[in-house]
Amino acid sequence: MNKLLFLCFVIFTTINHSQTKLPNVNLTTLNGKTVSIDSQISKDKITVLAFWATWCVPCINELDAISDVYSDWQDEIDLEIIAISTDDSRTQKRIKPLINGKGWDYLILLDKNQELKRALNISLIPHVIVLKGNKILYRNTGYSPGAEDELFEIIKKYSK
Amino acid sequence: MKKITTIISLLFTLVALSQENSNISYGFESNSQYYLDDSKTGDFLFSDRFRSNNYFKIDYTNNNFYVGLQTESYEPSALLNYSPNLDKTNIGLFYLGYKTEKLNLTVGHFYEQFGSGLILRSWEDRQLGVNNALRGARVKFSPKEYLHFTGLYAKQRKGFDVSKGEIYGLNSDIDLSSAFKIENSSLNAGFSYVGRKQDVTNTDLDINNLTNLFSSRLEYSKDNFYSNIEYVSKGNDAVFIANQIRNVKKGDALLFNFGYAKKGLGINATFRRMENMNLYSEREATGNIYNESVVNYIPALTKQHDYLLTNIYVYQAQPQVSFQDPSLLKSGEIGGQIDFYYNVKKGTSLGGKYGAKIAINSSFWYGLKGDYNFTGFDYDTDFLAFGEKYFTDFSIEIRKKWSKQLSSIFYYVNQSYNKRYIEETFGKIDANIIVTEATYKLGKGRSVRFEGQFLATQDDKKNWAGATLEYNANSKLGFYLNDIYNYGNDETSQQIHYFNIGGSYSVGAHRFALNYGRQRGGLLCVGGVCRYVPESTGVTANIVMSF
Repeated sequence: MNKLLFLCFVIFTTINHSQTKLPNVNLTTLNGKTVSIDSQISKDKITVLAFWATWCVPCINELDAISDVYSDWQDEIDLEIIAISTDDSRTQKRIKPLINGKGWDYLILLDKNQELKRALNISLIPHVIVLKGNKILYRNTGYSPGAEDELFEIIKKYSK
Repeated sequence: MKKITTIISLLFTLVALSQENSNISYGFESNSQYYLDDSKTGDFLFSDRFRSNNYFKIDYTNNNFYVGLQTESYEPSALLNYSPNLDKTNIGLFYLGYKTEKLNLTVGHFYEQFGSGLILRSWEDRQLGVNNALRGARVKFSPKEYLHFTGLYAKQRKGFDVSKGEIYGLNSDIDLSSAFKIENSSLNAGFSYVGRKQDVTNTDLDINNLTNLFSSRLEYSKDNFYSNIEYVSKGNDAVFIANQIRNVKKGDALLFNFGYAKKGLGINATFRRMENMNLYSEREATGNIYNESVVNYIPALTKQHDYLLTNIYVYQAQPQVSFQDPSLLKSGEIGGQIDFYYNVKKGTSLGGKYGAKIAINSSFWYGLKGDYNFTGFDYDTDFLAFGEKYFTDFSIEIRKKWSKQLSSIFYYVNQSYNKRYIEETFGKIDANIIVTEATYKLGKGRSVRFEGQFLATQDDKKNWAGATLEYNANSKLGFYLNDIYNYGNDETSQQIHYFNIGGSYSVGAHRFALNYGRQRGGLLCVGGVCRYVPESTGVTANIVMSF
């Protein structure tokens, strides 16, 4: 128990040192090309990374909900959403038909063995990261219906 | 503990010295349970009523250098049915490396995957208690944008120790369409080698210390069509049956996939055949229930269902040779699955004002047909012949939005589960499952979700019914109640409610959750890999924090 307390102490004393930059990790495109995440994010506009998987119902609900209002968001702010699939090889083949069936307009990248997810110390999905360039502005985990409106308010705040 | 304190202090010195180009990230996860006695399912019979699994990971980068550490603490002991090798507090992972655009060098622990993982994949899943990271050295080199090489030498993590066997790996991925400037289509190839070296003793059979595996892959896509194929061959390897080497056999796997996807429509079909494709970093680990020492990744290729009652009869891939008795002989599996996604347009009679989304999946898995010799522990299989039926599953999901506030999901599953062959016990189950769920948004982030479930079968434990009620007070705070009830069980004492109540609070990248209730015993499956969990009652607490 002392060790646990020690760990908690370590964490809480270092909150101020939290991560501010996106680690540069290689991902895969839907066509199987290897690309670095740095090369895919715009230097000056807002990028939202949404970590999801084909088997994660709240993730799909979130991306479905944003999809309905994505063009409205883009009218208001210069932003791009990248949906990063953390599916492993069991479900990777379901990504292409699923996103087409859903008609999502996001750039989709695959984090095949969860390298980026791990580098960001993400334990749970859905997990959203708001970036400007490669600078991390905001992170959020979990999704409940309607939370996309709150996310947009936060994005608007940071875009100013 | 001293070791850990020293290393953590060292890392913090680095942070103190850190300059503009440095970056640090932390993650903390804690999963604890206090187990209670239960008048229906029995008393808690193990030591330590309070059990807790904790993970603290820290990553530090400075220019091109990176270093990281994961401390794990299972105190006073690990949650029920985790490997006994996960005990007390220790360093689970440590690594340091150097990374540029073309080069990535790592020493210490690392995760790696070649191709789809059929030949090699190391990964972590804390819920399953899987962490088969490799510990050694790895070089990744990309001389061109379209050319990627990996070489590695390692032993595999087992508890807080490493495997007896050694792993050698070489991998190449080549983007042929970029290399040859082919336009309008995409073509990628990959080749891998994996060697596992472990001394063999106490056998008269002729077994090499080194087992070799080769994988070749090709991936093609043009316009809306895509396809890929992978073939893996495994050289002679010891066949373990009932903890003894009984024979020496080759193994192989063939994976073929193709699909078509355009806006509003997607179809995907996968075929896989595997024979004697288990690969462990220690041969003696064959068939262990903790998923320890597994070198390659062989998930069940079936749909991962989302509901409690759809996850009672879950298929697990059957790559292994098993000779339990003359009527239960296995050497692999053959089968496939088909997925179909369709978006019903807005304004049509089925689609209504908001449209509807349909997803259909069908999967079917069989044993390998062939001549089996029970007493000689030998077999000779036919290449494309289907043997005993192991599992079939058909599901349809319809998602529909009725208004700005109300949306619903209808889900139907038909399953056939050959328990005798899959779990090597007895019985066969045919089941039909229906789930309906509705979500109603109340505004300002508040919402209510209700789920009703029903499982009908004449077999095993007979019928089940279930329901879930969820209320989100805002985007941060949520509560739920759920219950599944085995009301159809022939034995009245076994007609048990598995009732749970809980809530969660999220703030930014952190989440805290609390649950009280009774868990159904059985297979807990994540990503096609399963772990057996015993029935239990208690209070669980989960903390996840990312910085």
